[in-house]
Amino acid sequence: MAGKIAALASNLDKLYEFDREPVRAEKLQSFAKFAGMFAGEHVAATEFVIGAFFVLHGVTARDLFLGLLLGNLLAVLSWTFICAPIAVRTRLTLYWDLRRIVGPGLMVVYNIANAILYCILAGAMIAVSATAIGLAFGIKSPALSDVLPASLGWVLITAALGAAFTALAVLGFEKLSTFAEVCAPWIFVVFVAGALAVLPKLGVRPDFKNFWEIATARIWNGLPTPGQDKFGFMHILFFAWFCNLAMHIGLSDMAVFRFAKKWTAGLATAFGVYPGHMLAWIASGIMVAAVGRDMNPGRMAYEALGLAGVAGLMLAGWTTANPTLYRAGLALQSITPGWPRWKVTVAAGTVTTVVSCFPVVFVRLLDYVAIYGLVLMPVGAVVFAEHWILPKFGLEPFRAERKGQAVNARALAVWTGTLAVCAFLPVHLFYRWLPGYGIALLSYVLLSAVTQRKTQGA
Amino acid sequence: MMRTLAGMLAVLSLALCLVFPVLTFQGRIAEDASRFGFFAASVAWFIFSSVRVSLGRKAGSR
Repeated sequence: MAGKIAALASNLDKLYEFDREPVRAEKLQSFAKFAGMFAGEHVAATEFVIGAFFVLHGVTARDLFLGLLLGNLLAVLSWTFICAPIAVRTRLTLYWDLRRIVGPGLMVVYNIANAILYCILAGAMIAVSATAIGLAFGIKSPALSDVLPASLGWVLITAALGAAFTALAVLGFEKLSTFAEVCAPWIFVVFVAGALAVLPKLGVRPDFKNFWEIATARIWNGLPTPGQDKFGFMHILFFAWFCNLAMHIGLSDMAVFRFAKKWTAGLATAFGVYPGHMLAWIASGIMVAAVGRDMNPGRMAYEALGLAGVAGLMLAGWTTANPTLYRAGLALQSITPGWPRWKVTVAAGTVTTVVSCFPVVFVRLLDYVAIYGLVLMPVGAVVFAEHWILPKFGLEPFRAERKGQAVNARALAVWTGTLAVCAFLPVHLFYRWLPGYGIALLSYVLLSAVTQRKTQGA
Repeated sequence: MMRTLAGMLAVLSLALCLVFPVLTFQGRIAEDASRFGFFAASVAWFIFSSVRVSLGRKAGSR
């Protein structure tokens, strides 16, 4: 068993070898570079669904605007005060920092969990794009209560799109990444232009003076669609905060911020989240209201901008599913030693395509985003505790590395234990990660104190 | 020089993408005309921004 873990860990190490060394001083980037990079991110196909779901969940206009303003601010502060300081301190990716904290064995488990989560996320992106193709062939978008595929047509469309996205990812990830850079600003414009184009249909006058009146009466009117929970200010605030939980509290973006001159580069994320997770969500809310709350991103885009809107939706799905497929493949490579890159991408693409056939990933996207962040959050808490809390209490950090442990049992216990507690917390799914984070921090510090005192006593 | 020009034209095309829906919103042009304009400006954006990126790559590889 130990030999197997060592072999898997060694495979994984080879994949990440290129960024093993801490970033050198001459490679550090300015704040402006980070602002530019984040401005081109955070606009995915799923934004078409998220903002629209807020309308269906009956949020009021005031709660939406305030919730998004504050929730995104909390996300920016999480990047700035939690993720960026550790990245600047270590100059390492999460992979290498985590490896010395949790041990190579647990690192393999973390990678597999990540791969599965990425596949589901890419599946949701494919499903969103599939609604655009479904429109052309007269295939209905899934109903809000659908879990299993409702028609053969839907399965065929998602399977065809999944196969196409996978084939393109196999043919050339790097070229597609460059193309995605070209697409990103235009996709954001599609959201803004789409919302502007449908405002007259909702009754907004050209002088914009009655916008708030229409917004509160016809868009975010506080009335949920039958079958949907009612959302308020706290739901929106928490969703905006945790929708990138894996990146800030979960520390995945250490890979980015290790190139920052100062931890204050975390503030640059504001250039990404406010356009992508505020303006784009507001725009998709306006678009869904204009189609009578029909949760069909394909129809929303077509009614707003015609074929260009449909193309925007397709490109948004494609350009964001592509890197997600790549990351899933990279994470899967640890358990598929010797497989060439194309084979791993096909494997990840196949899983993703199967997932995309199930409408539940699309119609329950908000819940999935919450679960995605929740699953990886305890690992972020463990890393945070090792860097900042253990030394403050006179406890030794990075013990797993010094003792050559394959699996840091304390980290494993905290990870699984926190998730078990979170599963039963009697609060809405959106709120569970915050007490969960506290539980993870506290239990890891306590467990570390107990085990280290025991060892000292012995 | 060519790269800068392509960059400027790309930004102009992107701005045009927004101008058409604004004109529709103000009731100055019909919806169909706006959609066509948006489509044409989008095509221009992809051409000019792709040229800009490829020229940047060539310069970088030298």
